[in-house]
Amino acid sequence: MSEPAVIVEHVSKDFVLHHNAQDTLKKRFVGLFHKRWRPQPHIFHAVEDVSFTVARGEALGLMGHNGSGKSTLLSLIAGIYPPTAGRILTRGRLVPMIALGVGFSPELTGEENIYLNASLFGLKNRETRALFPKILEFSELGDFIYEPVKNYSSGMYARLGFSVAIHLDPEILLADEILSVGDADFQQKCLARIEEMRNGGMTLLFVSHSQDQVAQFCDRYIRMEHGKMVAAGDVANLIDSVQKQKVIPIQTT
Amino acid sequence: MTAAIQSALAPFQRWWSYRDLVRNLVAKEIKVRYQGAALGFAWSLMNPLMITLMYLVVFTYVFPSNLPHYPLFMVVGIIHWNLFSLLVMQSSELLVGNADLLKKIYFPRLLVPLSNLLVNATLWLMALGILFALYVPLGGHWHPGLLLYPFYLILFLGFTFGIMLALCVLYVDFRDLKHLVEVFIQLLFWATPIIYPLSRIHHPLIQSLMKLSPFAEFSLIFQSLFWADTLPSWKLSLGFALWTALSLAIGLTLFYRRGARLIERL
Repeated sequence: MSEPAVIVEHVSKDFVLHHNAQDTLKKRFVGLFHKRWRPQPHIFHAVEDVSFTVARGEALGLMGHNGSGKSTLLSLIAGIYPPTAGRILTRGRLVPMIALGVGFSPELTGEENIYLNASLFGLKNRETRALFPKILEFSELGDFIYEPVKNYSSGMYARLGFSVAIHLDPEILLADEILSVGDADFQQKCLARIEEMRNGGMTLLFVSHSQDQVAQFCDRYIRMEHGKMVAAGDVANLIDSVQKQKVIPIQTT
Repeated sequence: MTAAIQSALAPFQRWWSYRDLVRNLVAKEIKVRYQGAALGFAWSLMNPLMITLMYLVVFTYVFPSNLPHYPLFMVVGIIHWNLFSLLVMQSSELLVGNADLLKKIYFPRLLVPLSNLLVNATLWLMALGILFALYVPLGGHWHPGLLLYPFYLILFLGFTFGIMLALCVLYVDFRDLKHLVEVFIQLLFWATPIIYPLSRIHHPLIQSLMKLSPFAEFSLIFQSLFWADTLPSWKLSLGFALWTALSLAIGLTLFYRRGARLIERL
């Protein structure tokens, strides 16, 4: 097997939540005299001691309820936050799709936003120019591409964001529940496109609530609960456990 | 050996590879700011123009100044001060204002303050153009020393950039910093020889204290280049270069030591 694309080693992330945040000089000064004004730091363990590796070309599904730490984990891998403990290594061009259309400027046209958005991911304008026809075609926006983005519907907005991200030619794609956007047809098209890139050897980290989507796309899965990894394994087992859950109650009653 | 050089150059290479991002951010900001305004970014001249006219009227008719070519003296000082105060006042909110972006995509964070600096400097070039157009009518003389102006301008921008970096980082923890800066910068304006010459300060101690301030130093540098038609003294140049180095050192240290941990608290 080739070298892993993503290595996550004993990674933890704590967020310090201040119940009485001392974010002004005034509060800090008054806090010297009044205990009530002092901050009460409350440490929230968003991710606790998570380790896994993803081989090149593999697809890993991250599952879990809201607040289980899966999105934080993705942000850590994307390099947005530094981990509190542990080590993260990634090899290859990484594109985080944590939210679609981040950095879109409402006043700019779709075309201008494509250049801006692509350059946020480190693309040169020259490279974007070469990709532009493909992005436009995929987004199905037609002449709307020359309209300011503020006039877009939310579906068009998401389509544009997705089209840019998908054409950046990622070696590692971090996708955070982004497939719940757009109409069914476009969703299908996105999924097909991800599938195609997977066949081209792309590594995928996929956060989703939907077991079906994880089962469809991923080779392995990880289930998170309260920041901890509670289950991991082959997606085939996942389908088994889903079917068991569905079947057993019927048998017992 | 070559490996060591390569690793030392790596961050610069990375920034260089993001040069189109800086270009796009600057273009976006300028476009968005003056979109739909008939006069476009000529509006950015309104504020400095009004201020300059106001001081001009006050200091030619109400409190007349006996300096030769006083309008030129004042305009040179104000034009540079304006850029400085604009950049410093906007800097507090740079990180907090871009929280959405910074929390979702990783790119070199330094590019956010850098592109703000470039946006304002680009718009400011128009004001500078007007200064050059009015230079001779206001009584200035072209002299070879002016060729050194870009060098001093870069020092000045570097000094300002250091302050911007420090402020945008500190603002995350101290949200009342913005109000402090706004008040303080007014005070600083009057405590700097911009619309009056340093010779008007008669107290020797205060005068020598004022001379040491970097704000007075950059004003004196630009006044001597544009108004006195001489090169700034080497003492003045060296002094300001040291201030610039200090400002950048503090700004960059704060930005890189605290910057990474900051994103989650925006």
